[in-house]
Amino acid sequence: MSGTFTKSMARNIFYGGAVFFFLMFVALTFDTTRALPKLDNRGAITPEVSMGKKLWEENDCIGCHTLLGEGAYFAPELGNVYTRYGNSKEAIMGFIKSRPKDGIPGRRSMPQFNFTDEELNALAEFLKYSSEIDTANWPPNVQG
Amino acid sequence: MLLPAIPDTGFDLTMSASVQSGSAVEYPRHPPGDLAIWIFILAELGVFALFFAAYAFARSHNVALFDEFQQHLDRRAALINTLALITGSYFVVRAVAAIRENQRDHCVRWLLAALSMGALFLVVKWGEYAHHFGQGITLSTNTFYMFYLSLTFFHFMHVILGMVILAAVAWKAQRGAYSAEQHTGVESGASYWHMVDLVWLILFPLVYVMH
Amino acid sequence: MQYTSQAVAKPYFMAAIALFVAQILFGLIIGLQYVWGDFLFPEIPFNVARMVHTNTLIVWLLFGFMGASYYLVPEEAETELFAPWLAILMFWVFLVAAGLTVAGYLLVPYATLAELTMNDLLPTMGREFLEQPTITKIGIVIVALAFLFNIGMTVLRGRKTVVNLVLLLGLLGLAVFFLFAFYVPDNLVLDKYYWWWVVHLWVEGVWELILGAILAFVLIKITGVDREIIEKWLYVIIAMTLITGIIGTGHHYYWIGTPVYWQWWGSIFSAMEPIPFFMMTVYAFNMVNRRRRNHPNKVATLWALGTAVMAFLGAGVWGFLHTLAPVNYYTHGTQITAAHGHMAFYGAYVMIVLTIISYAMPILRGRTAANSNKSQVLEMWSFWLMTVSMVFITLFLTGAGILQTYLQRVSDAPQGFMVVQEQISLFYWMRELAGVVFLIGLVLYIASFFVGSKDPEATVEVSG
Repeated sequence: MSGTFTKSMARNIFYGGAVFFFLMFVALTFDTTRALPKLDNRGAITPEVSMGKKLWEENDCIGCHTLLGEGAYFAPELGNVYTRYGNSKEAIMGFIKSRPKDGIPGRRSMPQFNFTDEELNALAEFLKYSSEIDTANWPPNVQG
Repeated sequence: MLLPAIPDTGFDLTMSASVQSGSAVEYPRHPPGDLAIWIFILAELGVFALFFAAYAFARSHNVALFDEFQQHLDRRAALINTLALITGSYFVVRAVAAIRENQRDHCVRWLLAALSMGALFLVVKWGEYAHHFGQGITLSTNTFYMFYLSLTFFHFMHVILGMVILAAVAWKAQRGAYSAEQHTGVESGASYWHMVDLVWLILFPLVYVMH
Repeated sequence: MQYTSQAVAKPYFMAAIALFVAQILFGLIIGLQYVWGDFLFPEIPFNVARMVHTNTLIVWLLFGFMGASYYLVPEEAETELFAPWLAILMFWVFLVAAGLTVAGYLLVPYATLAELTMNDLLPTMGREFLEQPTITKIGIVIVALAFLFNIGMTVLRGRKTVVNLVLLLGLLGLAVFFLFAFYVPDNLVLDKYYWWWVVHLWVEGVWELILGAILAFVLIKITGVDREIIEKWLYVIIAMTLITGIIGTGHHYYWIGTPVYWQWWGSIFSAMEPIPFFMMTVYAFNMVNRRRRNHPNKVATLWALGTAVMAFLGAGVWGFLHTLAPVNYYTHGTQITAAHGHMAFYGAYVMIVLTIISYAMPILRGRTAANSNKSQVLEMWSFWLMTVSMVFITLFLTGAGILQTYLQRVSDAPQGFMVVQEQISLFYWMRELAGVVFLIGLVLYIASFFVGSKDPEATVEVSG
């Protein structure tokens, strides 16, 4: 009936629309997958970087920090910390190593993870790799 | 009694009552086809309008780039596609006219003819894409190609959807689901096809021609 | 209760509320840690308290969805649940798994938990909202499969109403997309790309189908409006959800190393994501306005309408404010995100679970249709306290976010993260205060299950 609209037409639009956009999304995912190698710095994924990512996950760094803007908002963005610390892995490693185990009184505190030097290096490598991903000029400045 | 000239879109009772009273040709108070399809069509047109606005915005910031790469587009292919879609729309009009006269087989044939025009569009467009991809052009090549490929691909998908809808309508028509009194589905499908055609008629000059 | 097996919903709802309390307590802890930085450090560092807060939220909502399904599917399908014993078994499995997981978070350092649970065999830990040990995740899959089987068989055997089918589709989608939680590549960009297939396609995708189906069920019951009309509009709403939300995933792909065209696709489609929420609001108010009966459960009606409004404001409006790429460039990863997240989750998902509990629990506890007037009034107080305090939490975080965005991102002399956090701490104190009021609302909510429970049921006068 024109002038009314039927439940079955609404149903058809739902199923048709869902399938249509799912296919579009898959098509865009295909294109993204092909375009990523030029953007995602995958050439820099060494075993150290892998290890660093694993340590990042096993210690739930994302639970306080953001990485490329995603995560928790308690502590600074670390996607560009390598740049912010003057392109220095040592500065990053030094910071993590120097966290007091009982925190800083009254201030937001980072745990002391007791990482080995190898682990610290891996984390720094991971953060360096992250900083070289092409994130379309984000963040707007070095503060993250 | 219904006169053939009166478009019957399945009115509510009051409408058919006034028709039966023998008054002059009544025009439908509502658009042909299910109202839902019109809400959907308006929504679709709205989204395409948004895309066209985005295109215009991007173009205004990159006029030289857009003008340069527009030259690389195949206008002949676009012309063939335009004619294909317009012809398809004509066939769809004939299909609706046929079912209004209870001519089920003619309706199905006109719909199949429209489908063949849709297929022609897809083949020609696919040929254009094959050429572009062969040259290594992708969505990330530059802003012009991002818009050109996005807009035309989004439309391409709508042509496919339009064809799926027409095929479904043809299938149902073949099985006798429609009659002169009741053919809302045919009109809904036809309206959707016309929208897809209309979008192309805006897209084609905007992207291929205007500079 | 029309079918005795609907009773299995009760433990699910009770667990949901218990975990809700845990969620809020930990929310208050992390809210306090924002301004009293080393509160509970190092025993419960911020990230641990946070994962308890977010994980208990997700788990209690899942308990709520399951309880809702066990309640409404038999009634819709007009047949008993396929296997009530399985529902009870899975209840305990899920509850114990959740309890053990939270205990794990709190009792040992996270890295130790990873070791203890053999994360190395199939590493899936350490991502936001997906902090659960791999074995817990596998447990979730098993519980989900058993649940889907149980509900699916019930629908198959009985009436396949639109409400049932949409709910089932949403739940199926929930289960399928959860599987992406097991894909954790070394490539950070790929990691993030597919992480969003769990998170976005859940909360801005299939969860909206679940929300829509539950809301439709409650509206049918409470208003008496013709099912055909309610179900038709449900289809329209969920059509708009997926039409806008699938490509809308692109609004998470602006700055994570994916191609630039997502800034266009994501902005345009996600800008339209408020549409289904707007429709839901019009829908809910419309159906209540043209109701054919006055249902004695007034507070459930209040929750239903409140859900639509708050979901529209939190998910729709606040979402829209920061969804366009040019805006998001400056606000990405700030308190603006937190503001939106809180009101969206509360408005859409917390509230729909509280709506179905409000509708179903009285019946599950032996009432005909509703609680006593006294209970309902107390519950209404809790509704307003929680809802208004959430609005204030959101407003304070928005204020914090605007200032943070200006000082850290927009200003010509951008300041460092910690320096900026100091400057916005007043907002955090006010947020915490609002959080305390929220807790008071929650306490009243719990009380409403006890106060007036012996009083006679509320009735509606039949007008002459």
